Amino acid sequence: MSLLEPSSLGMFRDLVGEDAVPRPRPLVKEGGHSGADIDTHATTVIAVKYRDGVINIADRRATAGNTVMYDQAEKVMALDDHTLISISGSFAKSIEVVRYLRHAFKYYERSQLQAMSLDGKLQELSRVIANNVPAALQGIGAFIPIVSTFEVGGSGPRIFFYDVLGGQFESADFGAAGSGSAPIRGVFEYIIRTKGPFRDMDREAALRESLTMLEIAADLDTATGGSAKYLPAAKYIVEGGIHDFTEAEVKAGLGRA
Amino acid sequence: MRYSPYEWNESINQRNDYIEDKLKEGSPVVALTYDNGILLLTLRRSQRKIYEIYDRLVFSAIGNQSDIESIRTGAIDIAHREGFSRSPDDVSIQRIVGFAVSPSIKKIYADPYAAPVVLRALFAELGKTPAEDQFFIVSYDGEFTSNRRLATIGGTSYAESQMLDHLKSSTGVEVPTLEEALKSSIFAWAIGRIQTDPSGSDDDTEPVGDRTSEVKAFVSERLEEGWVVEAAILERSTRRESRYRVLKDEDLTAAIAFFA
Repeated sequence: MSLLEPSSLGMFRDLVGEDAVPRPRPLVKEGGHSGADIDTHATTVIAVKYRDGVINIADRRATAGNTVMYDQAEKVMALDDHTLISISGSFAKSIEVVRYLRHAFKYYERSQLQAMSLDGKLQELSRVIANNVPAALQGIGAFIPIVSTFEVGGSGPRIFFYDVLGGQFESADFGAAGSGSAPIRGVFEYIIRTKGPFRDMDREAALRESLTMLEIAADLDTATGGSAKYLPAAKYIVEGGIHDFTEAEVKAGLGRA
Repeated sequence: MRYSPYEWNESINQRNDYIEDKLKEGSPVVALTYDNGILLLTLRRSQRKIYEIYDRLVFSAIGNQSDIESIRTGAIDIAHREGFSRSPDDVSIQRIVGFAVSPSIKKIYADPYAAPVVLRALFAELGKTPAEDQFFIVSYDGEFTSNRRLATIGGTSYAESQMLDHLKSSTGVEVPTLEEALKSSIFAWAIGRIQTDPSGSDDDTEPVGDRTSEVKAFVSERLEEGWVVEAAILERSTRRESRYRVLKDEDLTAAIAFFA
């Protein structure tokens, strides 16, 4: 393409071609798969809304079957200055998806001179997850993200979670994904009933309670790493953008000041 | 149809005159390294002039808006395709300007039946250290030059060199802070703009001595007429996802106050 030809309307997948869009590559011969093994999202990621924004934490273990592959995986990643994606499932696929989405959002913003709307971004993510369904059914490369964002001048903190088909749901106050997420649903309810809702907590208290949930998930789920070797990843989004919790803050939250 | 050498020469000269005449009206753009990144600055009446191309690449130009747009979107396309299929580290100013932008402009310039690209463009790339920052200026004929530390584009080459002289003397050897860089850039912009301002005098004499009061008056007149300072930075160290940031009014107040 010549440089001086008219450009696409900020549609990144038109620019790079459909082949570059994350999608399944058939690896298993026809009929050779079992749909029962779809649940491979071994990890725990948690997003909660607190008084001033939204907190995202995740363990750092990456597994393959029964083997711990890596203990320093970064599962909470920035998509833009006010949006975090926390991933569960196939790590390789997730990295590819995040790279694709970052480029797609930035390409739109830089070429069209306006930021892509939140709905536009979520739609793009849904499409990528839906494209991935065949691979997920084959038991390869399933991934399920949680998206947290802070809408400046809009409705503030928001959390979205997904099912494996790309269906998108908005959560009022809490989102969790990964194999460790089911055991801690009850813990979350318990915290709300005994300590009050997260949205009334300050940052410190909300971090402490979220880390408690993550520690419980690590105790109950083999695929979720604990905090003994490496501290969990912890970030928060407020009106001013995305921040990392400091090591000291995370340690304090774990009661190890 | 074939050209004789004489006709070819004539046609090129006419092209240059036509383009340079149009560029004269352009509001200059100043780019320089400051201690935490790169600053691009101009004053404008309406259309936005400074654009982000990629993670570490910014662009600004004077000329026909439609030509600026096609170069801008073309560069963005190439940078994103490259950055996605290889790595963001492989998107370099040298490759974008040298292999994509410059040859395309040259091709159009050399075609006597094509409308020439009316533009003088400035690309800047943020390096890991101030010494690695790079500035490229691309002309309407496809020729390009590269600079370190600072670069300017303006209506005439004389205006550009005046601006450069001012920047060199006002920022000195040390890499300036953002505050100093803003002040020097507005000053340099005025020096360049005074040269080509349609409302200005036709006095061609070499300006001498301290021009502070003349520049201050010129800048505050423009601001009163509704011109606005447009400034954007690429930050070398930031915790934000994007290095590019358009400066807000409150970031500019101190620098503008100097010219009041």
